[in-house]
Amino acid sequence: MLDLAFSSMLSSPAYLLAQEAAAEATGESFSYTSLANQALNGIGIVGILLLTALGLAITFGVMRIINLAHGEFIMLGAYITFWMQDTFQMDLLMTIPFAFIGTALVGALVELTIIRRLYGRPLETLLATWGLSIVLQGVIKLIFTAQLKYVKAPSYLSGSIDLVKDEAGSVLVSMSYYRSFIVVVALALLGITMFLFYGTSWGRQIRAVTQNRSMSQCLGVNTKLIDMGTFAYGCGLAGIAGTVISALKTVSPPMGQDYLVDSWMVVVTGGVDKLIGILAGAFLIGESNAIIAFLLNDPTARVLVLGAVIVLIRYRPEGLFTVQKRS
Amino acid sequence: MSNVVMGYKQSTFPKRLAAIAGIALLIFIVLPFVVGSFQLSLLSKLLLFGTLAVTLDLVWGFTGILSFAHGIFFTLGGYASAYYLKLNLSAANNTYGGELPDFMVWNGLEVLPWFIAPLKYFPVAFLAVIGVPALFAYITGSFIFRSKVSGVYITIITLALSSALTTFFISQQAYTGGTNGITDVSKLSVFGTVIPPIGIYFLILAYTVFVLALSWWLTQSNFGLILRSINENENRIAFLGYDVAQYKIFIWTLSAALAGMAGGLFVPLNRFISPVYLAVAFGTQVVIWVAIGGRGTLVGPMAAAIILGQVQNSAEKVTQDWQLIVGILLLVVVLFIPNGLMSLLPKQLRLSNLSKPKPLPGAAAAPVTPVVPAEMASEPQTEAAQRSS
Repeated sequence: MLDLAFSSMLSSPAYLLAQEAAAEATGESFSYTSLANQALNGIGIVGILLLTALGLAITFGVMRIINLAHGEFIMLGAYITFWMQDTFQMDLLMTIPFAFIGTALVGALVELTIIRRLYGRPLETLLATWGLSIVLQGVIKLIFTAQLKYVKAPSYLSGSIDLVKDEAGSVLVSMSYYRSFIVVVALALLGITMFLFYGTSWGRQIRAVTQNRSMSQCLGVNTKLIDMGTFAYGCGLAGIAGTVISALKTVSPPMGQDYLVDSWMVVVTGGVDKLIGILAGAFLIGESNAIIAFLLNDPTARVLVLGAVIVLIRYRPEGLFTVQKRS
Repeated sequence: MSNVVMGYKQSTFPKRLAAIAGIALLIFIVLPFVVGSFQLSLLSKLLLFGTLAVTLDLVWGFTGILSFAHGIFFTLGGYASAYYLKLNLSAANNTYGGELPDFMVWNGLEVLPWFIAPLKYFPVAFLAVIGVPALFAYITGSFIFRSKVSGVYITIITLALSSALTTFFISQQAYTGGTNGITDVSKLSVFGTVIPPIGIYFLILAYTVFVLALSWWLTQSNFGLILRSINENENRIAFLGYDVAQYKIFIWTLSAALAGMAGGLFVPLNRFISPVYLAVAFGTQVVIWVAIGGRGTLVGPMAAAIILGQVQNSAEKVTQDWQLIVGILLLVVVLFIPNGLMSLLPKQLRLSNLSKPKPLPGAAAAPVTPVVPAEMASEPQTEAAQRSS
């Protein structure tokens, strides 16, 4: 039914009109500079996706916890930043450690009281974390009311880098500082996380616990502590994502929901075996979203990308970038 | 055979169940005459939501497929019904006169799209209300279930489906009315007479009874036993020679058709339909009713939808934070009462104990024929015959 309606829409006059209008708005019918702009725009989206999905890559990718409250941890980070900025007039960058510690503490508490009881029962975990997401939204609404809040970006991150100019000096291709900042933060966090996982004894213990819990228990690893620490770390990363994103979008209790589905798509696309997979997942989804949005329009891009992800899960539930192995 | 599997004595007719169901039905028949018009419409709405929860229970509680997409089927049926009612607005009531619905005029359409036009006629619309969700479910079901994708990933697929379809319906403003959906539809009428609210209530009540009875019969039959076995141990059922995917697709499609009809009845009552009911939030609401009421019971989800709806209606006058209460309730149920509130009922009152179905010990060789598509019909019977011999 969808396909039918869709093809008829592509040929209908209303749709063609809309497309012509869009083409006029972007200047000439088709230009490489606007495509480049859109690709850079896509890089910005990739940064956001990477940042928001990183926490989920820990809680789902490494620990296999079906965490539907991931978006709410992002929201918590954003609210911590808002609160600190509101009361102490702190710079956004200065609030990052507090957002990390605050959400990590909440995450540890959640692991201790809820997640711990549900290991090995994915569907129950899914329901419980959904309940948790409703509760967190409700609590934040109680404290801060449902009003939209605004967070100021630091002044030294406003403006944009001009990459290409034409002869008259007007900017053709540019990228805002803040979006570049997001990309840098996302890549830095990915790097730190990979170092923690593959370069420290804590990371070795985490990997040991996920690979063979009882064996690592025998070897004297405190698995419960490792579980709690890992979950808290994943939530803390989501908190940082919330801080960084709070300056781009308005802060409100349901804001996390917007990032939930996207984060899931990124983690599932990239595959859960290797952390680096989410970089690939974020890049694929972000760029294809931006390019399709440029060629067609935004909603179509979203629908097509989501459809592609569904097809991907159907054929490769383990993700695109996972090495096939015997289980 | 059922004797062995169910593990308790059987009688031919579920007398106690029939008695309790009869009393409950009587209450719902009398109720509209004692409550006001607001309660009447609320009650109708909650009955439909309860029915929707029961249809989700068929796939989740009995077969083990957790879906956040049941709002989709409900809404697809709702849109089909809304087009029918919208196109049947008399020219005088239509904002711009003429054939074309107002939202199409606003979005610059000049002719009725060919795939919407036939919905003006009742038989077509009726078929579409059931058929469109069923077809969509059949296509998605055949795509998803014939693969190695398991439990949680299917749930994630339903999340993505819901999200994608919401975006799609909002973006196609000219055809779907965008975010507002289809509003100001005509009242449902038969041969020119408008059906009053109480008539719609009884229509909905009849449909609710139909869905409950069908689901009860289905889940008590051999077919229902196979569904439960799929839930318990999918691999084992596959080893026994059943085509698990086929069963899943069938129950998924049936459940979607039933949900679609519920959506179709929702529009004459509610007088509008919008992408709100497509979104993940509504899909979750349905999941919550089933989880709180009790998976694998038919009365639980229905009761949860009605009671939670009534409590919400009263609570929202006092507090803004109804959702918080629902969240806490859901958490408590998942952590401490995994089988839902129905499992707290004393044993004698549970549906499975009341409905002592089917054959006497002597007649066990003739099981009730399960409702399955033709190509599958032979399997359960041979299986049953083998076991009883």
